[in-house]
Amino acid sequence: MATEWKIASDGLTYTFKIRQGIRFHDGSALTAADIKATYDKIIFPPQGVRSVRKNAYTAVERVDAPDPSTVMFKLKFPSASLLDNLASPWNVIYPKKYLDKDPNYFKTNVVGSGPFRFKNYSRGSTFEGERNPDYFVKDRPYLDGYKFFISPETSVRAAAIRSGRAYIEFRNLPSAEVEAIRKQLGDKIVVQETPMTGEWGIAVNNVAKPFNDVRVRKALTLGIDRYSMSKVLYPLTGLKFVGGLMRPGSDWAMPQAELEKLPRFGKDMEKNRAEARRLLAEAGYPNGLKVVLKNRNVKLPYQDFAVFLIQEWRKIGVEVEHRPLETAAWFSDGQDTGNFELIVAPAVEFMDEPDQFLGRYATGSTQNWGRFSDPRIDDLFSRQARTLDPIERKRLIGEMEKVVLDNAYFMPGLWWSRNLVHWAKVKNYVAPPNHYTNQKLQDVWLSED
Amino acid sequence: MGSYLAKRLLLIVPTLFGAAAMVFVIMRVIPGDVALLILGGDQAGQIDKAQLAAMHRQLGLDQPLLAQFGTWLWGVLRFDFGTSLWTGRPVIEELIRRLPVSLELAILATIVSVLLAIPFGVLAAARQDTWVDYLIRVISIGGLAIPSFWVGIVIILLLVIYFGWGPPLEYTPPWVDPWANFQQMVFPVVTVGYRYAAVTTRMTRSTLLEVMRDDYIRTAWAKGLGERAVVIRHALKNAMLPVITLIGTEFAFLIGGLVVTETVFTLNGVGRFVVDAVAHRDYPVVQALVFLIALSFVVVNLLIDLTYAWFDPRIRYR
Repeated sequence: MATEWKIASDGLTYTFKIRQGIRFHDGSALTAADIKATYDKIIFPPQGVRSVRKNAYTAVERVDAPDPSTVMFKLKFPSASLLDNLASPWNVIYPKKYLDKDPNYFKTNVVGSGPFRFKNYSRGSTFEGERNPDYFVKDRPYLDGYKFFISPETSVRAAAIRSGRAYIEFRNLPSAEVEAIRKQLGDKIVVQETPMTGEWGIAVNNVAKPFNDVRVRKALTLGIDRYSMSKVLYPLTGLKFVGGLMRPGSDWAMPQAELEKLPRFGKDMEKNRAEARRLLAEAGYPNGLKVVLKNRNVKLPYQDFAVFLIQEWRKIGVEVEHRPLETAAWFSDGQDTGNFELIVAPAVEFMDEPDQFLGRYATGSTQNWGRFSDPRIDDLFSRQARTLDPIERKRLIGEMEKVVLDNAYFMPGLWWSRNLVHWAKVKNYVAPPNHYTNQKLQDVWLSED
Repeated sequence: MGSYLAKRLLLIVPTLFGAAAMVFVIMRVIPGDVALLILGGDQAGQIDKAQLAAMHRQLGLDQPLLAQFGTWLWGVLRFDFGTSLWTGRPVIEELIRRLPVSLELAILATIVSVLLAIPFGVLAAARQDTWVDYLIRVISIGGLAIPSFWVGIVIILLLVIYFGWGPPLEYTPPWVDPWANFQQMVFPVVTVGYRYAAVTTRMTRSTLLEVMRDDYIRTAWAKGLGERAVVIRHALKNAMLPVITLIGTEFAFLIGGLVVTETVFTLNGVGRFVVDAVAHRDYPVVQALVFLIALSFVVVNLLIDLTYAWFDPRIRYR
């Protein structure tokens, strides 16, 4: 929506010029006042409104709309992530007039300004959009509309593509299904494989015995052969890349060579396991120990991930009881109450932004399922968030990663990759590295066959 | 008959009350919090305690349990099942969209099952221990042993692999487009109907065999009646009581119990709705659905009991 923007030299004022002539789906004009109202609701939610994303904007002091085409963000301190966070696909701009009447309007109503207007939603089943003739990008979108079908079943999703009942699947399909589809449909099908901005790992309850002992935590993470895990789990689940706390291949990731120097990323598993057994013995568990691994009862990739871990830990004498929980209970035990020993905990965000990915390791963060607190991490996290120079920021991030990994506060598993499958007749869709972004379908069109 | 009916109808009240109270308590005892799910969504991020308390207040979850239960019951008496905690829409509205799907599937599967099960059950009994009997028994044991959703998945895979065709992803009511409706319903009906027919066939066969050994059947044979008259007119009618009981309870089960089959065939029915609502801790929806399922069991049972009198004129209700 912004045609241009300026960042003041002190990094404390961001000024955006808003495109003129944008209309909401109800026909009213979108102005800077609507953007201010929306961001006020997100950053400074009024009484009775709950904002889950306000912590992403702690640097913002206030939002101003001096005239209908200008929005200004005034900051308390410079923020390295603000521009990225303003691109969040979740921050949908709502008309001010509706938010004024009911600040929770956005919860049960859909009014956007995008290429498609909301048409219909049938819970758990379908979601429909129709072409917005007043869309501000001329001659877009190409499609007259779309219909999303909702299904949690892998076999159903794959069959829908194979039978041509659906043209595109935005969520990952396992490689085995993809191969079968490719074999049957050949060049009628396009598979776009991308990395995914998401990592599957294991949260360790750092305040419970015996996991408050760093030796036990280290032994557990040393016992995981992440390189074999990638080979085994990739075809089943798409879990693929060995990495630290930022996505391997992204600008912020620790270089592979440096990563391999960290003991739990070394490739000599015999040595790793011997060291793990030694640490366990030293911590007072020469005969190994029994732990409970909680998990979400979702097949892909949670369950397969856990099954592999259990096999690995058995090799260092750790017996694991796997306890899959239904989503609500998994959140409740993992995030709210800390009622777990080990729990499968993914970190998935909409882009490779350190503030988004690393906030969970800071003291007191609700995303810090392991409930650890290390002043070095807190300090490094807040410093990197305010560092505008990318090289210096990357250095701070690397240091912070080392503190987390050295102390095994959290155990990274594997970073996910995605297979996005669509019929070849779907043109002009570029798969993004997660299923949150590039969902506008503005430029997508269909060929005749 | 009239007073019997009145008695039965009155008994429905405590039964439904019991079911409602039980599900009310269970839903609140299990861990998980709808307010948290609404606030955090899938990525449950940063939520503070004040926000959570405010959400509890808004959803009425800060009230004492008894008060919550009372409010709900009072609503039910006025056919108001409340609003979904998750979507904010009236429960009844969502239910009305789903009930036809489940009802159509249950009715069609019952028809398929009755049309197959009774003739085959009779045939197996009349030709006991011949190859006909063995074949019918093998097929029906298969129906019991193989889970229906698996049959469903296999059917879909075969269709997709050999014909490149799959059933439509969306339900079309038969009065809108009978052909589209047929395409979507035929395979789930076959899938569910197979298991249903298998259960019913076995019941028909075994009760018929039992009746065939009764004295009055021997008398009928001794009178020189033909096989058709003996089996159909004398034996079958008396063997039908357990069979219709089974058909009735199966039917009621189908209304809310077809979770996986509905998922496999992307049918937006009541079964999936129950599971979705439980997963989201959407209390009003779960309560309404369990209430509905309990109601369908009670009504179907009543209807079955009333049909007993037609099959066996000795049964008189008072």
